[in-house]
Amino acid sequence: MTSLNKKLILAFLFIFILGSFGFYIIDKATKSRIDNIGIIGKVPSFSLTNFDGTVVTEKQLNDKISIVSFIFTQCEGACPIMSENMSTLQERFTSSSDIQFLSITTDPDYDTLDILNEYSSNYSNKNNWFFLRGDILDVIELSEKGFFLSAALLPAGHSTRLVLVDKELNIRKYYEGTVESNIFELQSDIVTLLNQG
Amino acid sequence: MANKLFFRSALISTILSYLLIFIGGLVRVSGSGLGCPDWPKCFGRWVPPTSIEQIPAHIDPTAFNIILAWIEYGNRMLGVIVGLSIIIMTVIAVLYFRNNSKILYSALWSLFLVGANGGLGAIVVSSVLNPFIVSLHMILALFLVSVLSYGTIESYKLININKFSNILLSKKISISLIALWGLIVIEILLGTGIRTNIELIAIDNPLYSKGQLLDALNSYKYLHSVLGFSLLFLSIYLCYLFRDDFLGLSKQLIYFILGMILVQIFLGELMIFFELPQLTRLFHTWGSSWLVGIIIILYNTLQYDQS
Repeated sequence: MTSLNKKLILAFLFIFILGSFGFYIIDKATKSRIDNIGIIGKVPSFSLTNFDGTVVTEKQLNDKISIVSFIFTQCEGACPIMSENMSTLQERFTSSSDIQFLSITTDPDYDTLDILNEYSSNYSNKNNWFFLRGDILDVIELSEKGFFLSAALLPAGHSTRLVLVDKELNIRKYYEGTVESNIFELQSDIVTLLNQG
Repeated sequence: MANKLFFRSALISTILSYLLIFIGGLVRVSGSGLGCPDWPKCFGRWVPPTSIEQIPAHIDPTAFNIILAWIEYGNRMLGVIVGLSIIIMTVIAVLYFRNNSKILYSALWSLFLVGANGGLGAIVVSSVLNPFIVSLHMILALFLVSVLSYGTIESYKLININKFSNILLSKKISISLIALWGLIVIEILLGTGIRTNIELIAIDNPLYSKGQLLDALNSYKYLHSVLGFSLLFLSIYLCYLFRDDFLGLSKQLIYFILGMILVQIFLGELMIFFELPQLTRLFHTWGSSWLVGIIIILYNTLQYDQS
């Protein structure tokens, strides 16, 4: 065998090893995305009223991927950014009927259905985003015991995290609703869940 | 002695930089760029965390994914190794080659480029993987391997004076090679533009299939294919110009370039028409970096004959 042939064989072997390594890493990365959104808990039963007056219960979450937030309309800090980010996601996933959004007010005294209706028109462009209100004690219990999110000193003390819930009502992951990299993460996790079926 | 020392350190730096481009490509195609949300540390640690408990309280653990963290950190660690290797190379250049501007400047430029690209790596992370900045990060890496390839072949010539081919650098060959290099750089910029646009479109349209993403691209995606085939003809013409060379280094290199261009066209078509896009993308990008460096090496093996 000439030295050129030997070099060629070595080169092909090297490329093959690198390719296998690349394939292995890409595969691992893909699988890790699914492992990384493991089940954290289950959404309990609840009953709240949507801005259009309809009653929304946990059954609404069946067979849909849901993104849940706690906000109030007079909030000037985190809420506008959170709702803006949810609005962006609603827009980006608008062609899918498998995704919905829920925003629950932590200030039901001020946030009447009319005010929620007005607030919704600022952010939502599709009827897959529910703006919900209910008894303040129910909201606190749902936040703390249902979604494991702190709800002290409401309305302002609500959590700024977004919750990803799968089609079986499992809580899969939390995202800081005001942090761009977290929204990026949420978007790719939604795609991962959608691809899983 | 110093010649050999510099050649070895330049060669090692070049090989490591090519490996770094491969790993960097792997970070991009596997989507691991945000594996570490901070920079230069990873979740506030010099050794990335292996479990979620190790993440300090002030850092948000939402994005923690051990696999992605280690892929991203692998790229950074190899980057540090390349940096050290180039520092050693520069020290040798400054100590022994102060009178050889080709060697000295190739070392200093490499040092500048590796430092700048390391810093740009920080901006890649803080920009949440802005596709423009990610592409700029790759283009700087291409400049780096170009300069390193130049330094390597120049120092190789110092220790192997009699080893070069008998092809003289005729005007025709010189112009054709420079044109090939320039067109390949343009081709890479077009390819980078396509990738950047695909990623931008995919951010706004996460549900698009590969076909929809390609449809949404501007018509200059065809320019990339057309230029690709033009490069093939240009390299065939160069093989013809080199026909009288015995099977020396130059001839091997021009055949290698022709082969690489064929492989690149094959990989490009594969990405459009078939699956396994990530691995194909990785090798398509990596192959382009090989072409850039090898043309520089070929050109400088020839330039020697003129003197």
